[in-house]
Amino acid sequence: MSHRVAILGVGMTKIEGAKKDQKLDDMVFEASSKALADASVTREGIDSVVISGCDELDGRCISSMLLAMPAGAYLKDEIKVTDEGCYGVILAAMRLMTGLFDLSLVISWCKTSEAPVSDVMRMRWDPFYHRGFGMNHITSTALMAGVYKSQYGIPMDIPARVVVKNRKNGARNPNAHLQRPIKLSEVRSSPVVSWPLRALDCAPESDGACALVLASARKARELKRDPVWLAGFGWATDSYYLGGRDLSKLRSLGIAAGMAYGMARIKNPLKEIDIAEISDFSSYHELMVYEGLGFCRPGRAQDLIKEGLTDMEGVLPVNPSGGLLSSNPFTASGLFRVCEAYLQVKGNAENHQVQGVKRALAHGSSGFCAQGNAVFILSR
Amino acid sequence: MNDGMTLRGGWNVEYNYAVGTTGKKFFDALIEKKIIAPKCSKCGLVMLPPRSFCERCFVPAEEWVEVGREGTIQAFTIVPVKFESLPEPPYAIAYVLLDGADTALVNFIRKVDLSDLGAAAKKLSIGKRVRVVFEKRRKGTINDFHYELIETGQARRQRSKK
Ligand SMILES: [Zn+2]
Repeated sequence: MSHRVAILGVGMTKIEGAKKDQKLDDMVFEASSKALADASVTREGIDSVVISGCDELDGRCISSMLLAMPAGAYLKDEIKVTDEGCYGVILAAMRLMTGLFDLSLVISWCKTSEAPVSDVMRMRWDPFYHRGFGMNHITSTALMAGVYKSQYGIPMDIPARVVVKNRKNGARNPNAHLQRPIKLSEVRSSPVVSWPLRALDCAPESDGACALVLASARKARELKRDPVWLAGFGWATDSYYLGGRDLSKLRSLGIAAGMAYGMARIKNPLKEIDIAEISDFSSYHELMVYEGLGFCRPGRAQDLIKEGLTDMEGVLPVNPSGGLLSSNPFTASGLFRVCEAYLQVKGNAENHQVQGVKRALAHGSSGFCAQGNAVFILSR
Repeated sequence: MNDGMTLRGGWNVEYNYAVGTTGKKFFDALIEKKIIAPKCSKCGLVMLPPRSFCERCFVPAEEWVEVGREGTIQAFTIVPVKFESLPEPPYAIAYVLLDGADTALVNFIRKVDLSDLGAAAKKLSIGKRVRVVFEKRRKGTINDFHYELIETGQARRQRSKK
């Protein structure tokens, strides 16, 4: 493909429960500076900046007014995506593909420790038919987990093993929020927060910012870099109304994956992808994502877990970084997945590096019960 | 938190959300103890909550039908812990596919003993039959009714047009 897009570098802050020593703009400056340094480019060289944040969680209107500057956009192009951070990669990549831009910085952040997260999530429901019924990010995800569990008779140990796997991986990632590995019995005995989800089945809430530098193929060649290529990407959205969706599956994810696989010429994802960094809002959700991504037939994600196929030593390690179950800077979590996939392909993931990664998948989603999904394939 | 590292601040903003004529018609019917739903003129989808158009066929939905006052649980959860700005726990909610509708409508499911979560989850399983119970005083809002289990009902699977 002539309009290929390269990733030249990434920058991530440490993900923590509460970053009190940094204001929002400090955190964004740290991530963007690190990404520029990692890509060995300067702010002057950047011709386009795509930022993504959630105003309600930032506690300010049009937060890009404050955050465009620490993102490096002083007297430059800047455009904001008010969606999951990984959608910034889509917008930036398409803009590079037009030939109008050559070097982009994509950044996203979230500081959940400052925000009334549950209240903001409740407000995402319409006020007429949903808002009063006690649905936030956890309880709505629980509705879906219950449907999936009932449809396929998922034994309780299976989601618990997903948590153990991701927390074990997270313990090897010095950047993760939760770095203590946990036992199966701890997951099983953690209190139910919204049936069938227990406290440890759910992703924590974290603070963090991350950024990537993307380049047109022309620019990557000119800079003589050894980049990671964005070999494919796809995205799709489902209905807002959960009552009209089959909550046992992620249809928009299937469409997004089909688009990304088509572009990257992937036929058998389980065999052709070396690692995947996915958005596991809950343990059950990780299972559903396996199916949406076509790693197995519907209802059979439990086999991948039983056989350890997605463990660090498996055929397709999923979430070597620990995933959202270890670190969840909420609306930036998907962009963190893309950064982690980059590190794996580059061979820079240190303690959580999987050997010989040539092709990695990153996944992000947004909306209730993953209404929208985006899939990225990164390769050498 | 007064450790000098955070500054407390907030906003309190009020809105006047337009209900629209489709919503108004639905809410007026609730006052009359009726649940009515728009039907797509092309694919026949009977949609709850009501919408003025079918998002799949992308045509206006102008016909209305009355749906049943009983239905089947499609999804549910029981919330035993307190979340900021959410109702006092414990509470149970369910998406119910009312007889004659094609998409499920969420509401509280009441009069289920939620003290034993495991037992309550069994009682509320997917496929169980529930009835719509209207409140005595109705104001034309979605809270004019809630669901209750039909205790004798056998669990059954009902497929909607999804
Ligand atoms: Zn239709």
